[in-house]
Formats: sequence, structure tokens, C-alpha cells
Amino acid sequence: MCSNGNPYRLIRTEVLEVTTETPTIKTFRLKPDEEVRFQAGQFIDLTVPGAGEAPFTPSSRASDTAEIAVSVMRVGRVTTQMHALSAGDIVGLRGPYGSAYPLDEFAGREILVVGGGCGFAPLRSLMYSLFDMSGQFKRLFFRGGCRKPGELLYRDEMKSWGEREDLDLLLTVDEGDETWDGRVGLVTAILEDVPMNFTEGVAIVCGPPIMMKFATQKVLAMGFQPESIFLSMEKNMSCGIGKCGHCRLGVYYCCKDGPVFRYSQIHDLPGIWE
Amino acid sequence: MCYFFAEHGFGALLRAAAEKYDIFGPAQREGRGVYTRLSSNGATFDTGPVRTVDPLKAFFFKPRECVADGFSAVPPLSENPPLCVVGVKACDLKGFRIQDFVFAGDEFRDPFYSRARNETLIISSDCTSALDTCFCEAFDDRPYPRGDFDLNLSPVDGGYVVEVGSEKGAALIASCPDVAQEATQGQTETRDRQRDEVSARVRQNLKDYRVPRHDELAGRVERHYDSLIWKDEAATCVECGACNTICPTCHCFFLYDQKNVARMARFRAWDSCLMKGFARVAGGANPRRELSERLRNRFEKKFSFFPKVTGEYACTGCGRCISACPGKIDIRRVMKRLAEHV
Repeated sequence: MCSNGNPYRLIRTEVLEVTTETPTIKTFRLKPDEEVRFQAGQFIDLTVPGAGEAPFTPSSRASDTAEIAVSVMRVGRVTTQMHALSAGDIVGLRGPYGSAYPLDEFAGREILVVGGGCGFAPLRSLMYSLFDMSGQFKRLFFRGGCRKPGELLYRDEMKSWGEREDLDLLLTVDEGDETWDGRVGLVTAILEDVPMNFTEGVAIVCGPPIMMKFATQKVLAMGFQPESIFLSMEKNMSCGIGKCGHCRLGVYYCCKDGPVFRYSQIHDLPGIWE
Repeated sequence: MCYFFAEHGFGALLRAAAEKYDIFGPAQREGRGVYTRLSSNGATFDTGPVRTVDPLKAFFFKPRECVADGFSAVPPLSENPPLCVVGVKACDLKGFRIQDFVFAGDEFRDPFYSRARNETLIISSDCTSALDTCFCEAFDDRPYPRGDFDLNLSPVDGGYVVEVGSEKGAALIASCPDVAQEATQGQTETRDRQRDEVSARVRQNLKDYRVPRHDELAGRVERHYDSLIWKDEAATCVECGACNTICPTCHCFFLYDQKNVARMARFRAWDSCLMKGFARVAGGANPRRELSERLRNRFEKKFSFFPKVTGEYACTGCGRCISACPGKIDIRRVMKRLAEHV
């Protein structure tokens, strides 16, 4: 969105609420001064004034245009500053930028969503969009994993998802503990027994690069078509508008042509998982 | 039709331009041209024989610029008068084909670049000589401007043959009716002969250094993706970024904030893809950890990415990076190695 002719312009945004999700992830409920309309999969740039800017894919419902939520893992300079924010603080917002999941194309098909760790954040927004079009697709499967139960994002919400009739949900952790009575193992181990027609279906993969790599190889081996596998790629997206050059991925800029790519668009490019 | 301006007449033209524009042109320092603010009388003006040391892009995509001021919706555009840049050479004008694509070619038009492009008056000029490092002809470009100027100057005896490239240029000429003459056939023939001579000199450079032509580079970076070229060439790279800053087509930048929480301001500054952290993400993962990978990225952008997305090689053959590199990394040698069969 090019606000008043300046794509670098920041929209003043108030932090409404900060929720601690895991030891390293907090969710921020944000209220921009102007309505921001995004589609699931697109990202926004958030600024902590004086500290800088970083890209995040909203984890909230795209149709809720008054507020936006992002779940932020504390990994770097800007995210460390973000974790120090509290309700009432002011941040800057640009966007939305990049490509969204082609929801129209998902209609009438069987959908497998594969999430790993912090990848649950953008996927929550996608799942809300899919729930809103419930009945328009054949079946919906969510297979998610993370390292430990304490690192599982939206754990309470996941419980309620488990009770939905329009969703078949299964979660796994690499390493269990006394709070966990579910599956233990890598997410790739709980994909094969999904009861769907892989060659006709849609697979969506989002998570850390190493998980994306193996989950993509897995769904390919299962029979999903490269053009029906959607990946949310992570590169160093800075300007968000295809100019600053940092997030190049072959002939694409991740910020403008992605972050959602079909595997068929990028599978020939060198170093996509690096 | 071409005009002829005698030297004193051209001085009058510059004085007319100075009423509206700040005028910059090449000043010779230690034998090399550097873009410098010219005094409006134009007395010491010289178009310069070859390209300047510094690239033209700095007037449009500035080395450092404030791009957002607080949460204001108004872009913090400069209030300085528009610029007129004189003596611009063809290789710098070619840079516009890449810079325009990046900054003015899509829905996210950059207001700072676009305004400078719209307002600046470009009075370009033919190269009257060639440096040993000049190789524009490898990309089928010529050492004289063929477009993207408002006026172009071809030095001939006693003055300049002037070609009009835009309405803005025509309007400036119209403001000096007393000094503009129609160029004679003899004068335009002199211009054409000089142009051919300089072109031939650049083509001789291609032969002397065995520089491949652009059509020998198609698909070659992909072919050589895992070759030893990159490690060999990176061996002397010191990651100074001079090749990036001096390049007319390099456009990468980083965004950073003024360290003043009470007064938020965002700046944009030239970046270099040779720097270790260029592609690193917040978690620490770095797709181009090795210097050789970053050097490859530079040439991949020039000889693969831009030809694929715009149909243009992002190299103007200006040779600035050859002169600037303390590690003596020579883009012509890289081209030569790319063109070799594997």
C-alpha cells in the first residue's frame, strides 16, 4: 500500500495488549491509526521508534481490519526491543506487502497445512481465513510440530481447534514432557497417514527453514504437485517493496514476489533453504 | 535538427539555466573529473573527456536520505532548487535503465528518486576520449548518448553541436534565441567522425583485454554457479563496498532510524551486498555466509537477475569498479571467465 505517495511512510500504531505465549514469543495486539487491510500470507513491517524495523506476518484474522496481531519471537535487535513494549506504547507500521495465499484456488480441494514452531503465527491467520470459508473446500488438515510443549504457540486455542468438525488436527513435539500426552517426533512423521488424495490436494508449509526443507521434500514424495505446494519463505526483507535488494531469491524478491511462493516457482533456484 | 552553440553562447545557456537550477558538472581534479557545483558564469566549464570518478546516480538515489519523518504522511522531500547536471556521459545515462526500473518502475514509486528524475535537467556530452578501463561497447552501448538526456553536447571547433532530447531541453534553448544557431553539415559530420573514433577506441579495448560481448554472457552465471571463479576472485576482496557505491546500476540500500526515540526519523543509505550481514536474517541464518557467495551475488544481479527481469545487463561498461577495487578484481576478467566453456 502506497500511503500518500510515500512507501516508506509509517502509520502510527498503538500497542493494545501484549501476551506472553512462550519463553521467547509474545503476541502484540495492535491498533493502527488507519485501517490496514491485509490478506493471509502477506506481511507488515513494524518499527520500534529509534530501534528500527522488522517484517512480521500477522497472526490475526484478515477480515478484522481495525486491529492486527503479530506473534514475535525474540531473536534479534528489533524483536528484543519489541519484547520490552507494553500496552499504550506507540510503534510504526508499513504494509501490507507481498503475496497472499490464493484462497480462491483452494476452494473445492483438500488442504493440508503443515506448520513448525514460529510458523504457527502466519498460519493462524490462514486458518482463520479457511475457517471463514468453511464448506467451500473438501477437507482441511492441520499438522503441526515444535521442539517442546512449552514452545507450542496458541496451545489453548489449538485445543479448541481440535474440537472443530471442519478440521482434522494433529500436533507433535520433538521432545515431550509431563504436560504432553500427544505425539512425539518430527512433523514429517505425522504427514503420511493424512487421509487425502495428495496428487489433487493443496499443501501449505510454514516454519523454520530446516523444517520447511524436510516437510517440502516429504509432501513432494507423498505426491503433491509442485504448483500446489505453497511455501512462506524467509529472507532478509527490509524495504518490503522490491527495492533495497536484501531478500533476493533467484529472479524474485521475497518481499514483493513472495513471501508466499509455489514450490514450482522456486524449486530450480539455488540455495532456497539457506 | 541540431544546434550549434559557440562557447560564449553556451555560457549564456548555462546562465539561463542557473536561474532555475543548481548547476553541477565535471571539474578536473588531478586529471580526473568529479561532479562539482559550477559557478553560474560557466567560464571554466569543460564537459570532460570521459566519465567522472563519481556516478551520476548520487544525484537521484542519494547516498543518504531521510525517507520518513515521524508519522507524517508527507514525504520529507528536499526544498533545494532542482539540479542541472552537465557533462554526463552515456555510461551514466545507461544506469537510469536500471535505477528507473527499481525506483520508478512499479506501484511503489519512490517519491525522492522520482522527483529528482522529473526535475533534474541533464545536459549530457559525448566522450571525446576513452580510458583503458572503458568497455561500454561490450553491451552494445556507445560512448555517446543516444537518449535519456534533455540536451546533449558534442564538442566541435569553437563550441558544441547540441541535440535536443526533451521538451525541457527545447524550452531552455528557446530561452536563448540569440545564441542558438543551426549546426552546419560540416559540424555534424565532425561530430559523427569523432564519435566513430572514440567507439573504435573502446572496441580496441575489448580486443586488447579480450572482453566478451554481452551475448556471450547469457546464462553463464547459472552455468558457472559452482565454479571456482567466485572463490578465486573473492581471494583479494576486502569487503570495502567500493564497487557497489561507485556503480551506476547498484541500487541496494539499508534503512535505519535516527537514534532519537522522541523524534522518529527513518533514513536510507547505500548498502553493499559484499558486507557479511547483507542477507543475514534476525535469527542469524545467513544465505551468503561466504565472501565468494556474496561476490557471486554481485555478478548474478548484473549478468543474470537484471537481464531476466528487465532485459538489461546491469553493467554500463564504465569501468569504475575496476579503478576503485583495492583487490584488483576486474569485472572484465570475471566476464571473460564466465564466457569460457565448462
